[in-house]
Amino acid sequence: MEHILSNELGRLIVGLIVVLIFSQLNALFLVWLERKVAGHIQLRIGPKEVGPYGLLQTIVDGLKLVGKELITPKRADRILFIIAPVLVFVPVLVPFIVLPFSKSLPLNDMNVGLLVIFSFSTINVLAILIGGWGSNNKYALLGAIRSVAQNIAYEIPLLLSVLSVVLMTKTLQMSKIVQAQGSYWFFLIQPIAALTYFICATAETNRAPFDIPEAESELVAGFHTEFSGMRFGLFFLAEYTNVFVVCAVATTLFLGGWQGPFGFSLGIPGIIWFLAKTYLLVFVIMWFRWTFPRLRFDQLISFSWKVLIPLALANLIITAGVIKLI
Amino acid sequence: MGYFKDILVGGWSLVKGLEVTIKRIYRPVVTLQYPRHRIEMSPSYRGHIELKRFPDTGTHYCVACGTCMRVCPSQVIKLQGEKDKALDAKRVVHYYIDFSHCSLCGLCVESCPMQTLTFSKEYELADESRWDGVIDLVRYFEESAR
Repeated sequence: MEHILSNELGRLIVGLIVVLIFSQLNALFLVWLERKVAGHIQLRIGPKEVGPYGLLQTIVDGLKLVGKELITPKRADRILFIIAPVLVFVPVLVPFIVLPFSKSLPLNDMNVGLLVIFSFSTINVLAILIGGWGSNNKYALLGAIRSVAQNIAYEIPLLLSVLSVVLMTKTLQMSKIVQAQGSYWFFLIQPIAALTYFICATAETNRAPFDIPEAESELVAGFHTEFSGMRFGLFFLAEYTNVFVVCAVATTLFLGGWQGPFGFSLGIPGIIWFLAKTYLLVFVIMWFRWTFPRLRFDQLISFSWKVLIPLALANLIITAGVIKLI
Repeated sequence: MGYFKDILVGGWSLVKGLEVTIKRIYRPVVTLQYPRHRIEMSPSYRGHIELKRFPDTGTHYCVACGTCMRVCPSQVIKLQGEKDKALDAKRVVHYYIDFSHCSLCGLCVESCPMQTLTFSKEYELADESRWDGVIDLVRYFEESAR
């Protein structure tokens, strides 16, 4: 075991297996959590029949999805239709390579870590477009088009807000960004960037109030209308893994990653700190979903261009000015 | 200045919304786990009618006078009585109602001279056939005694 872990390739393979297992377990847990949160916000109970507190409910649901027939609609683009679920799921696994779960745990602490995450998370949109285009369905196509248009709305303020952190730390390496927050977390001195990032992250994961591409009440199920069985399951897995990833990035950038508050670790291991903060943010995203109604499309665009982008840009310029002065 | 005011007011309203939902999480749930838990029906609930049991005699006072049968606007009541020699009074033997046609108007309950009719608290009345709505109140009375 020792010599496997010391070898770079062995470390990657072991890491990949761990990431695959973790992403499944994480999605199972998050779906359960989502249903519990939704239930209790609406004064219901949520799943409770299968397993203690209904914890095994999502496993049973997953088994049902695996057992379902994979239907390809007539005159759908077969190749695009089949690769879309794969293409949506694989890129969300890549950020796990650079996510700094603890001091020694990033699989590969490359110096362009942040860039890797944001370049791969954008592929998500391409996959949604392919899936919507390939399924020969007007609702799926509309959902896909909306997803692309939405991408323009949130991607710019997202990167602008991240950039102000990068300006402060002068690095794209995840572990160095975390280490720069030794004495104080960045959301204390970059509250606007943190807020902008979090709003855009909600939009990036296509979750309410920005679930415009899915919009059950308007588009049936949006881009994944025609997907059945485990193909739909992969879209679902990707969505929840993506939620985890954006929250993990938020933890890294603004909440001090694996470090405790103000440098006190309180004897708790770094990975626990990291996961606790990440799941807290995941809970907040779920809380958003069951509080806010969906934005109309033009509302999202005007909110993005009139509020988010100017705020993020002003924040970036002020950050740059202050850094230059210091 | 309206621009910043809009952002602040709008943002504050979002925070208020979040406050509303987070309070709900800590409230007790209102879901009733129906087959496992039941609630007491309200006193004003109207199920099908039943023969009231009087505690002094432990039985009902129905003398099969037929007032309820005649007053029923939907004509869903059929009853038959015969003289009970021991009591020296007429007693009901069969009392049928077709609950599927009953409009729960309550005229039978109000008009009963012996005041022995009342609304039951029965609510699990789903059945497979329309004839399942026909209920023999005398048998229902005897079964509820057990």
